Amino acid sequence: MRYLILFKALLKQEFILMRRYLFNTIVSLIGIYIIFLLIFFGAHALGGGAPEFGATLDAIVVGFLVWTFALFAYSDLAHGMVREAQEGTLEQLYMSPVGFTWVSLFRIVSRFWVMLTFNIMLLVLMMATTGRWLHLDVVSLLPLIVLTLAGVHGMAFATGGLALVFKRVESFIGILQFAVVGLIAAPVGRFPLLRYLPLAEGNRLIRRVMAEGLSIFELPATDLLFLLANSVLWFGLGFLAFKLLVNVARDRGLLGHY
Amino acid sequence: MTEPVLEVRNLTKVYRQRRGEDVVAVDDIGFIIKKNEVVGLLGPNGAGKTTTIKCICTLIRPTSGSIRINGTDAQRNTRIALRHVAAVLEGNRNIYWRLSVRENLEFFAGLQGIRSGRVRSYIDELIEMFQLKEKERTDARNLSRGMQQKLAVACALVKKTEVLLLDEPTLGLDVETSHELRFALKEMARRGERTIILSSHDMSVVQDICERVIIVNNGKIVTDDQVANLLRLFQASAYRFEIEGRLSKQQERQLEERFEMLKISETDHHTEIEAQLEDGNRIYEVMDILKAGDSRIRSIARKEPNLEEIFLNIVKGGKN
Repeated sequence: MRYLILFKALLKQEFILMRRYLFNTIVSLIGIYIIFLLIFFGAHALGGGAPEFGATLDAIVVGFLVWTFALFAYSDLAHGMVREAQEGTLEQLYMSPVGFTWVSLFRIVSRFWVMLTFNIMLLVLMMATTGRWLHLDVVSLLPLIVLTLAGVHGMAFATGGLALVFKRVESFIGILQFAVVGLIAAPVGRFPLLRYLPLAEGNRLIRRVMAEGLSIFELPATDLLFLLANSVLWFGLGFLAFKLLVNVARDRGLLGHY
Repeated sequence: MTEPVLEVRNLTKVYRQRRGEDVVAVDDIGFIIKKNEVVGLLGPNGAGKTTTIKCICTLIRPTSGSIRINGTDAQRNTRIALRHVAAVLEGNRNIYWRLSVRENLEFFAGLQGIRSGRVRSYIDELIEMFQLKEKERTDARNLSRGMQQKLAVACALVKKTEVLLLDEPTLGLDVETSHELRFALKEMARRGERTIILSSHDMSVVQDICERVIIVNNGKIVTDDQVANLLRLFQASAYRFEIEGRLSKQQERQLEERFEMLKISETDHHTEIEAQLEDGNRIYEVMDILKAGDSRIRSIARKEPNLEEIFLNIVKGGKN
């Protein structure tokens, strides 16, 4: 029961903040849409006449969508932790009798639906702009997105842990945000080893569902199992690093100090 | 006998340094706090007050020693122990600046696993108690510092824990707000609802609210006693001499050489000497010095000490 109450409290907090900062959210949406327009028209100018441009366009839309998902997931969690440490609320979260692990996990889940609403609006805008209406199979996409983002959350947890111990990690967060682009653009087909990195395999499977119109049940079971294992591994590693770093911060009396 | 709610035994915290010597912040301290006791934790900067408080609420891992909260080992069963503790650690921090007063209170109840419906009337009571009624829909960031601090205390209270830890709750507040907050804390202490451990530099706050005081210095406990006992003890040995005119340099030197805790204040017409004389017979030594310099004594009286003087006496003078 305590878990449910905690989850409801976190969800309500997210809802209040989203409603209160709606203008901020809309400005962010417009900003990201403008970036997309620049990429789209840039790509159009470079290879718009080519017969295979349609496939490239699909890849751009899907890649951009996964990038915004990943960027939000990563920066929201990593920056969020830095902000909570600065504001002194991280100590209070740590002191929840439900446990800091659950607080962190519930916070991710409660933020996910805000991120989802934002990205659905962005996707509709992107598809209307490009005229490419992609296959939106929610049953197939939702688990793929969740699994793909799990690895990113692992990275964010590790970064958050580093922020608690080493404090000034904003530039590191910035660099990793660029690394996310690299992970999405990773040529998994040509270099299969790149599949082991977070995001890469998930992005490939999401593209297959959205651009090729496949259902999750039509995807090779080995690919799905690989994605599952990859996500669990990266999330687990990131979370383990986070817990270790929290203990280091507790040892050094740094938790909440910023 | 009232049951202990908090037991701290042989608590030590050493901060390891890569360069230079390790820092011993808390050095083998121990105390037991009973249910509904209101205890002040006093000490100069760097004495180990905040480290002790943060060890109790599990934010800092002790190097050695044990902490039991309501019988639960805080290191081994952290989550169960945390059901019984709430803390305000840095004044006006510890609250969500982008949530309103009421939203903050509801959120912190939820963080503790308490349904907001179950504490609605208590939230109303807290808002009234801390005089935040007019601002209950205002974002915390738009409140004055004093109001933010009151809200932080209210957010700790809404968790309805047996133990409440307050680290410098009146730090940086103006006199009026400090009194308002003090009044609310006193009211809570009077009702005997919570076990409160309060650290503060403001001795008058501790003297006003707490029944017992633990004084720490250099990581060690130097005094642990009831405030009333300390006041009585120091009253018995604190004297004030009023002299006509001024003291000679020789008299001042003699007094300062022979008495450790001495305060001499001069005006145009008279001089006041305040001294801690643990042995009552030493009063004659002071009188001898005064007589030898032909000083006329106007009055000799027992002085009413306050906690600040007692604290300075203990920390600087070594009385324990």
